[in-house]
Amino acid sequence: MKPAAPNPAAGPSRRDLLRSCWNGFAMLPLAALAEGQGGPPPRPHHRPRAKSVIFLYMDGGPSCQDLFDYKPLLVAQDGRPFGAKMEPTQFNDHGNTLGPRARFRRRGDSGQWISDLLPHLAQAADELTVVRSMVADFSEHTNANYFLHTGHGLQGRPSMGAWIGYGLGSANRDLPAFVVLNGGLIPPGGVDNFHSGFLPAHTQGSLFRMQGDAVANIAPREPTAALQRHKVDLVTALDAAGLQRDGADGAIEAAIENHELAFQMQVAVPELTSLDGEGAALRARYGCDAEYGPLRTFAQQCLLARRLVERGVRFVELTCPSTGHDRWDQHSKLDVGLADNCRMVDQPIAALLADLRARGLLDETIVLWGGEFGRTPFAQGRSGRDHNPFGFTMWAAGGGFRPGVAHGATDEFGYKAELDPVSIHDLHATVLHLLGLDHQRLTYRFGGRDLRLTDVYGKVVRPLLA
Amino acid sequence: MPMRHPSAALLSVLSLATLGAGPAAAQEPTRPTAQDASFDLGGRAASHWAWRPLAAVAPPDDGAPGTARHPVDAFVQARLRAAGLGPAPQAPPHTLLRRLWFDLAGLPVPPDVLARFVAEPSDAAYDRQVDELLASPQFAERWARHWLDLVRYAETLGHEYDFEIPNAWRYRDYVIRAFAADVPYDQFVREHLAGDLLPEPRRGPGGDDESVQATAAWWFAEQTHSPVDPMQHTSDRIDNQIDVLGKAVLGLTVACARCHDHKFDAISTVDYYALFGFVHSSRYVQAPLCPCDVDGDAYRAALAAQREFAAAWLAALPADDPAVGALRSSPPERWSGGAGCGPLRAGDEVIASADGPSTAWIRTNDGFGPAPWRGPWCPDPAAAAPELQLLPGAFWHSGAAGRWREGVLQTATFPLTRRFVHVRAAGRDARINLVVDGLHVVRDPIYGELHRAVGDPQPHWLSFDTAMWQGRRVFVQCLDQRAQDLGDADRERGPYPDDGWLAVQCVVLSDHREPPPADAGRPLPAPTADGPAQTPADAVLAAARRLAAAQAALPVSPTVPALCDGTGTDEPVHVRGSHRAPGPVARRRFLEALAGPDAIATGPGSGRLQLAEAILATDNPLPARVLVNRIWHHLFGRGLGRSVDNLGALGDPPTHPELLDWLARDCIEHGWSQKHVVRRIVRSAAYRQDSRPVPAAADVDPENLLLHRQNVRRLQAEAVRDALLAVGGSLRREQFGPPVPIPLDSDHEARGKPKVSGPIDGDGRRSIYLAVRRNFLPPMLLAFDLPTPFATVGARNVSNVPAQALTLANDPFVHLMCARWAAVLAALPPAERLEAAYRQAFARSPDRGEAARCAQFLAAAAAERQLPADDPAVLADLLHGLVNTKEFTYLR
Repeated sequence: MKPAAPNPAAGPSRRDLLRSCWNGFAMLPLAALAEGQGGPPPRPHHRPRAKSVIFLYMDGGPSCQDLFDYKPLLVAQDGRPFGAKMEPTQFNDHGNTLGPRARFRRRGDSGQWISDLLPHLAQAADELTVVRSMVADFSEHTNANYFLHTGHGLQGRPSMGAWIGYGLGSANRDLPAFVVLNGGLIPPGGVDNFHSGFLPAHTQGSLFRMQGDAVANIAPREPTAALQRHKVDLVTALDAAGLQRDGADGAIEAAIENHELAFQMQVAVPELTSLDGEGAALRARYGCDAEYGPLRTFAQQCLLARRLVERGVRFVELTCPSTGHDRWDQHSKLDVGLADNCRMVDQPIAALLADLRARGLLDETIVLWGGEFGRTPFAQGRSGRDHNPFGFTMWAAGGGFRPGVAHGATDEFGYKAELDPVSIHDLHATVLHLLGLDHQRLTYRFGGRDLRLTDVYGKVVRPLLA
Repeated sequence: MPMRHPSAALLSVLSLATLGAGPAAAQEPTRPTAQDASFDLGGRAASHWAWRPLAAVAPPDDGAPGTARHPVDAFVQARLRAAGLGPAPQAPPHTLLRRLWFDLAGLPVPPDVLARFVAEPSDAAYDRQVDELLASPQFAERWARHWLDLVRYAETLGHEYDFEIPNAWRYRDYVIRAFAADVPYDQFVREHLAGDLLPEPRRGPGGDDESVQATAAWWFAEQTHSPVDPMQHTSDRIDNQIDVLGKAVLGLTVACARCHDHKFDAISTVDYYALFGFVHSSRYVQAPLCPCDVDGDAYRAALAAQREFAAAWLAALPADDPAVGALRSSPPERWSGGAGCGPLRAGDEVIASADGPSTAWIRTNDGFGPAPWRGPWCPDPAAAAPELQLLPGAFWHSGAAGRWREGVLQTATFPLTRRFVHVRAAGRDARINLVVDGLHVVRDPIYGELHRAVGDPQPHWLSFDTAMWQGRRVFVQCLDQRAQDLGDADRERGPYPDDGWLAVQCVVLSDHREPPPADAGRPLPAPTADGPAQTPADAVLAAARRLAAAQAALPVSPTVPALCDGTGTDEPVHVRGSHRAPGPVARRRFLEALAGPDAIATGPGSGRLQLAEAILATDNPLPARVLVNRIWHHLFGRGLGRSVDNLGALGDPPTHPELLDWLARDCIEHGWSQKHVVRRIVRSAAYRQDSRPVPAAADVDPENLLLHRQNVRRLQAEAVRDALLAVGGSLRREQFGPPVPIPLDSDHEARGKPKVSGPIDGDGRRSIYLAVRRNFLPPMLLAFDLPTPFATVGARNVSNVPAQALTLANDPFVHLMCARWAAVLAALPPAERLEAAYRQAFARSPDRGEAARCAQFLAAAAAERQLPADDPAVLADLLHGLVNTKEFTYLR
């Protein structure tokens, strides 16, 4: 099967080169959605339901038995020896059954179970498609992170954001298709979780920082803007003379375009990342003024994510700010870690869903929440939970997912997926499907093989679709 | 169809659920695995060009009168003529020399060299330039980097903690020296496969073993700590190692045959597992470059001095003590009596013992000496009151010739058929690991049980409970110092060499949790008030001084990550890539399509030396073809076969197949000399021609496949950075040594973060010397397409992303280089500065228009800065503009 984009082996045309540099970001005016302007974008395989994805990546593996996967048996057996066979885990320090750390209630018209740790999100229960039967192949962070992001447990493969950018192109020629809003923590495995792998470099996730300059080397070093403009004009003039003298060349011309783009980015990125125009009331709803620092940062990330999908960015991934604990990775002190992490994400996520809904964007935006695996229903030591890839929860909202349903189930302990397991490959296939991409046809030839995000696996999970 | 590949993901939910149950029993596969009946290996080999022998072709004779045409040009021009095209004229001298310098040395041509050449750009002058460049250390540094791309060179293991690979950088230096010395490529490949096994290793500076250092390349595979299934991890690691071997040396995607016969090439799953056996029969070790000869005079003298010290110590004891009398009547090796392990119980099984055959042990480096040590020894002859210690019985002992001696002692591989492993040992600052299924990174949390520190100088048992790993294949690895351990955090590793030591008596596999009994032997007489321990006699001190001197006379060798032979084992085919589904055994051999179906006679070890000879057999056309194609790629920006790492059925067929084979034969006939091939190609008119577009060729040869002109190429990442250092006057020519740390910023907050942030200018060192830590690669080089080190990359990406422009516009390194450059140029009269800058940056003079435009800019910049136009800060602005032009980063 042919990929949806040109075969790299054929060699880039000048048009390709120019387009590839447009897929870098930042030409003014950013506000203008410039659908189709960079030459025809690669076409989807079928009519898409969604245009963009916001992936709320809960680095470390959230403990779903305390948030979404209500198991009365865990309440009843709290503190007693665990009643089922325990698989080897990362730390093999198995304690007794550990009951949920907060009270569960049915929420909204749909009656979804959500615990008291997420009071804001609970109000959006009817928007959520909760998958309680996720399974992953790895119980160690780095493998599991690569697997979740790239469909493969080792370093070097393209991230799903890169695949989506490759398959659909950017809907905005001034912005990259794949942006990572880095709250502060880079997950184990590093920026390779957001890498383009063997796909063209422009599909790589562009990392935006939330502190200081959003993009590396974005700040000019010249003392005045005029001096910088003089310099750019000098370079432009000398480059033009060079082409005149030495002859036209596609790659050089594309690099010249890029130079101008980079110059404009220096204005455009600060404009994009400034939230001043959003209104105090809205910013407060997200939590931008909150007392708790990590909550403030995550609120800014959520608000910026909305601004990015508004501008046509295909895939926005949010990584977590630090709460001072080790991400969602509570091997001990689960109570305090959970409380802080939930406090950090609860209000901003609820505000994001409401804001997208109010603007009519939720129907075309997939919001995805989850980590690389879940956690054990039995304790690690006394106060923690160990890694558990056998059954955990992720949820999606908007973008063609069926709202207000819970899919699949773990066993009575919340340990292993029992009913309708959904693999990471299945999740990838389903997300691609909603974006109009057939996961079996989205391929790229590398090292003599046609490779896919879903390897040779994956199926679209139809019951999740609206 | 997508193809199944590396299958860390193989660990399905089901198989995870059965973990801990040990490997599945060998079973009859339910479907054909090794070779599907329909898989026609012979037919594929016969039908694809790359498997065929090198064609014996002569350059076409075009009958052009009078000119002794370069053979490369005869091939190239014949095809051009057939297409109605001709070659482009030679590039202008300055363009040509700039191209040659960047291609061969990776650096801009110095202005004085340029001036001499432009004054007299004859063929002879050009040839002299070629020869001088080929002889320069900079050539070796530039071309070594090309090779490092093929072996995914890195100095850390990546993954969560990015553990350091100790001494990985020595391999980088080895490659640079190999290119400088123009080591014949077949020898270079032989060293990579079996440098540790060569009967006569190649010797480098100071007599160091060069050959063994090549085997470090196997250990640049990414590795994690604590994988849940160690054999899965090892299978993935070996998959990567076979992938690199296949692509780098053979230009084949051998690793595609891991789960099924290759979909397109003449490579079967049996081929893959036949190669797997060679790798799985080999182990990681830190090998010495120049170990002491344990049978040599100096080493024997150090051991003899131990005996003499014991005699002096004994002589100083009161003769009337009956215990002393007993010692005096027996030689030191009998002092402790018949001590040792045992008696063994039912359910005890000796795996290796110092009393048993020495062939049961694998020894690396000189620490453990020529034979097990019996009798007393002095741990610290330099002490004010040197003491004597007595270990009961025979021990492999890394302290007898001095505690600074280092070594690794390993057992053969054995299956865990019983639950407990007991090792009797004594020592300080030493480690003992149980390596399960080839998992060398033995660490917490899962493998902490298999990883023990030895910190007690009295003999004691270290017991390992292997309940989790029953049935798996393991070996015991005894490291007499921490620095040898792979995948240990730097902070725990300690210095090399250290004064720790390790003595190992035996390894027992047992059903019993309690270790077997052991005889403590006769103790040494307790020191008395006037005994040697308190107030050593002069004779004791003199003997101690002689012992210390004899030990100090033994040099300590640096080490390098390397392969060593373990227990030679053939691997069963993993049915559909799963090690839990063993199929028929694949006897070790090279690819059937090239070397036939017969197994290689390997002897007891891995058989890698025999594999090397099979790969380098004269009837294997691939190594030479792949090599010359890569060299062509580096000089034209595209190989004769474009997919340089894959000449298989899915690769691109060569544009000039006869030329490719002619070059391959020419290379072999000239002793596999890479410098010869480079010289041959850069002397051709094809290389030297102009790169300007040729309107007449636009339709006939739009992609320039026929080479009607040279290609315009962007500089590689290292060349961009090195050129900035060079023009800025900051480039240091110093070669070799430990990596230079990179400057860290807030993007580098992650686990495994390096402890040291390096200087912005990298100490002026060439980019090849910058630290290559997988999780912390240099951002500037990454922006310009430094490959992520995970697989063979023979043809780098040439991307065009805003990060490149932003780097050149705003990176502090670029600004620093321009400021330094301006400071140097400011010493010249203002009227000469622009000329000098142009010559450095572009190897030419500015034309009148450019000079005027630059002058205009200087005035504007001076006004903005409110400084005089000849101020260095204003000049730096101009220079910064020049490095941002495309001419700076592109080769014409």
